[in-house]
Amino acid sequence: MSEHAMTRRSFLAGSAGVAAVAAAGGFMGFGAWQQAIAKEEEPPGRTEVVHTLCNACSSKCGYDAYVVDGKLTKLIADEAHPYAQGKICGRGYGYSQIAYSPDRLTDPLKRSADGSFEAISWDQALDEIGQKVREIVEKDGPQALAMVQDPRPSGKYYTKRFMNALGSPNVYTHGAACNLSKESGFTQAIGTGNFESDVERSKMTMFIGRSYADAIRPSSVAALQRAHENGAHIVLVDPRLSNSAAFADEWVPINPGTDLALILAMANVLIDQGLYDKAYVAANAVGFDEWAAAIAGLTPEWAAPITGIEASTIRRLATEFANAAPAASIEPSWRGAFGCSYRNSGETARALCLFNTLLGCWNQEGGALFTSGVSVGKLDPEKFPSTPKIEDAIIGSVEYPLALKSMGTNLYAAQMAKTGKIKGMFFYNSNMAAGYSNPAELASFLDRLKLMVVIDVQMSETAQLADYVLPECSFLERMELPEFVGGKTPVVTLRDQVLDVIHPNTLPSDQIFAKLAQACGVGEYFDFTVEELADAQLRTVGLSLEELREAGTIAFPEKAYSYGATPKWKTPTGKVQFASDACEKAGLPRCPVWMEPEVMPDARAGEFRLIGGKQAIHSHTQTANIEALMDITEEYGLDRAWINASVARDLGIEDGGLVVLHNELFDGPIRVKVTERLNPTAIYLPSHYGCSSKDQHTAYGVGLNVMDFVPFHIEPGYGGAMTQETVVKMQKAGE
Amino acid sequence: MARYGMLINTKKCIGCYACRTACQRQNDLLPDEAFIRFEEREEGAYPNVAVEHVPLQCMHCEDAPCASVCPTGAAHMGADGIVSVDQGRCIGCLYCMAACPYQVRSRNSQTGAVDKCRFCTVSSHENGTKMCSCVDACLTDARIFGDLDDPNSEISKAIVKEHATPLKGDLTRAKVYYVR
Repeated sequence: MSEHAMTRRSFLAGSAGVAAVAAAGGFMGFGAWQQAIAKEEEPPGRTEVVHTLCNACSSKCGYDAYVVDGKLTKLIADEAHPYAQGKICGRGYGYSQIAYSPDRLTDPLKRSADGSFEAISWDQALDEIGQKVREIVEKDGPQALAMVQDPRPSGKYYTKRFMNALGSPNVYTHGAACNLSKESGFTQAIGTGNFESDVERSKMTMFIGRSYADAIRPSSVAALQRAHENGAHIVLVDPRLSNSAAFADEWVPINPGTDLALILAMANVLIDQGLYDKAYVAANAVGFDEWAAAIAGLTPEWAAPITGIEASTIRRLATEFANAAPAASIEPSWRGAFGCSYRNSGETARALCLFNTLLGCWNQEGGALFTSGVSVGKLDPEKFPSTPKIEDAIIGSVEYPLALKSMGTNLYAAQMAKTGKIKGMFFYNSNMAAGYSNPAELASFLDRLKLMVVIDVQMSETAQLADYVLPECSFLERMELPEFVGGKTPVVTLRDQVLDVIHPNTLPSDQIFAKLAQACGVGEYFDFTVEELADAQLRTVGLSLEELREAGTIAFPEKAYSYGATPKWKTPTGKVQFASDACEKAGLPRCPVWMEPEVMPDARAGEFRLIGGKQAIHSHTQTANIEALMDITEEYGLDRAWINASVARDLGIEDGGLVVLHNELFDGPIRVKVTERLNPTAIYLPSHYGCSSKDQHTAYGVGLNVMDFVPFHIEPGYGGAMTQETVVKMQKAGE
Repeated sequence: MARYGMLINTKKCIGCYACRTACQRQNDLLPDEAFIRFEEREEGAYPNVAVEHVPLQCMHCEDAPCASVCPTGAAHMGADGIVSVDQGRCIGCLYCMAACPYQVRSRNSQTGAVDKCRFCTVSSHENGTKMCSCVDACLTDARIFGDLDDPNSEISKAIVKEHATPLKGDLTRAKVYYVR
C-alpha cells in the first residue's frame, strides 16, 4: 500500500503536513466537508487527499489528488496501482487541468435549424431524446440504435446496461480504430484477446510497432528499463526509431505494413532448422503441419525485399529467439502496427501468437503470460435486475465475423447509418468523427441519423455533428465504479470524486445514463446510485466501498499469478489453432500466410505510406486542447511530419520547411522534421493534431489530422479501420 | 550547510516531458511557464542512428551570470547555494534571460517577472512531495538530487561512478551534472 494511503481521505491541518483529525464516521463527501468547515470557520489552507484514476489514456493510472481549499494542487502517484507503480506520465499531470478548461461543456446543447447549438435544460434534452428513442424503437426496433464508447470504469457498465435495457445489442468500443484486429486475431489463434510479455525477465523481447516510451504506461517503461539493465535483447521493429530506443539494442526499420512477412519468415527459419519447441507444439497445437506446409517457401530471402530487412538479419533474429526461448516472445502490442492499421493486421496478430507458440513461451518466466484477474460476482437481482436477454447479434457480426463481439466494428454501424439500418447513435467518451478513417465521409454517414447524442466534457469533432450534446463533469468531479485490473497480482482501484462539480449543469455518466433510461422508459434498471452499485460489486469480492475509498487500491495477493501453468486454450478446438475454420469461413486463409497490404507506396511515383503514432504527451485527440500539453507541441514543433533525411535531400526540403501532403482525399500544409529515424518509404504524422472543432480554442488549427488522408474502408473479416492503408505525395509548399 | 545539486542521466531519458509537466503542476505554474527545456540530438545516418534527449533547467551556477546582471538583486544566491528570484523585486528587465548561457529562465506572462527552477525539494516537503517534482516524476529515475558536499550522498557517488560533469564544464560552476 502507498505510504500516502495513511493520509488518504483524512484532513491535514494547514500546510504543516501534520496529520490532524480523521474524518469522523468514515467517508464524508467533499461538498459536505466544505460545508462542515464553513460552519466551523476553520482557517483556510486545508488539504484533502482523494484517490482517483487518471483519464488521460486508457491505462487509468491511480494517483492521490491533493485539494487545497477546493482547488486541485498536487498529484502524487499511487505506489500500489500496478500501472502507475508510483509514477504518472507527462500527460497525466497536464490532463488534470481539463477540470479547469475554459472550453468545458457546461450545459446540454441542441442543434438549431441553422446548425448552431443552443443551451437547453436537462429536462428538455431528456424529454426530446427520450421521445426520439421511443419513436425509433417503435418504428424500427431497438436494433436501429447503437452506442460507441471508449471504456471507462462507469461508462462501460452504464452504456451497455442502457442499450441492453432498450433491447439493443449494439454496444461498440473504439476498438475498430484501436486494437480490434489484434485482439480478434489473437482470439483465433489462442482463444483470448491479449497476453502480457514478461519483458523484464526475458532474454529477448521483440516489439512490433509499439513503443512503451511514447505510448506510456509507467509500469511498462519501468519493465523495459529493467529488462535492458538485466541484459535482455530488446528489438524494436518499427518504421520509426521510437523513444524506446533508450532501452533497446536493435532497431529493425521495417517497411510499414509488412510485419506479417517478417514473422512468417522467422517462423519459417525455426521450422526449417528444427529450432522450434516440438514437444510443446505437439501437445498444444492443431494444424501445425498445415501451416508449416503453407509457409514452407516464405524464407528470409523471400521476405527481404518485402520488408526491407536483410535476409541475414531475419535469420539471425529467428536463431536468437530460439536460443532465448522460452524466456522470449514477440510482445503483443496494442494499436501499434497491427491493432487496426492494415488489411493484414488480424492475420499478423494470428501469426504472432503462432510464432510465440513455436518458442514454447506461454506462461514461462520471461515469456508470454496469461496473468490473473478478479471480476465482480453475482449481485442482488432485486436491487440490480438483469436486463432482458437479447436474441439479436451485434450489427456487423455477420459481415465481420472475426471481430470480437465485446468490441464490435462501429465502422460498420456508422455505414449502416448511411443505409438507414441504424437510426440513432450515442457516443460516450468517443471522438469517432476525428479519430477514424476519412472523417468527412464518416460525417456524411452520421448526418443521416435521426438521432445523434454525444456525451463528453468538451466540444469534440463528434459533438459538433450531434443533435444533442450532454455535458459530463470531468473525471476529477465524479466517482466511478471500481476498476478491476488484472496482472501478476490483480487489484481493484477507485476513481473517487476529487473536486466538487465545477459547472452545476454537468453530471457524471452514471446519472446521465440513469436519466436517459428514465426518459426512454427503462428507468427501472437504474434504480440505484453509483455508490450502492460500487459497494455491492465490492462486497462480491469481500470488500466494501468504504475500504476501497480509504485504501485507493487494494490487491488480491491470493489470486497472484505463478509461472508454469499450461494455459487453457479457449479456442473451439481447445488448442492453439495454427489453422482456423472460422477464418476460412470468413473468407481468409485457414492458416496465416502472406497477405499484401491493400496499397503499397510506389517510390518512383513519389508516394509514401502515411503512418501515425503516439507522442508521450498526448492521447489521440483528447489531450490536444490542454494548454500545458499543446504548449510543448508548439514549442518543439511536435506537430511536424517526419521525413527521412535522404528523401529530404533529394527533394530539397529543409528541416522545418513547409510541405504539402496530398492524396485523392485531402491536401494540407505541414512543416517537416527531417530525421534519420524514419524508414524512407514512410512519412510519419503524429496522431493528435488537426483539430477541426473551433470550440477547442487551444487545439484548433494546429497540425494535420492523419485520418483525413485515409479512405473509409474496413478490414475483411476482422472489421478494423485500416488506418495506415493510404499513400500520400509530398511537395514543397509554393511549388 | 548542504550544497545542493542535481544529476541528469541522458542515457536514461526518453524525452517524455513528464518532468516538465510535473514541475508545472506541482509548483502551480502557468501552462506556458516552463522551467525545463529540452534539446534533442540525432547521431549517425539511417538506419544506424542514436538519439539523445537533454533536459535543461537552472543549473544553480555558483558563478551565476543572472545574479551578476540583475539590477535589483532579485536574482540572487541563497546561503544554501540555491539561485532564486525574488518575485517582488523583479522588474522584468529580462537581463537575466539574456545572460543565462543555458536559456532556462522563463517569463511569467501574467506578472512579467522572471522565474526558473527552484530546486523545489528544499522548499516543498509537505503535501506529498518529498523530492523535486522532476526527480519524483521521472519515469526512468534519470535524475538524482542531493548534497554535493556530502561524499556519501547518492548524487556524489553517482557523479564519481558515472563521470558526470556540468554541461559546459567550468563555465559557470554549474551544480547540475550530466551523464551523457
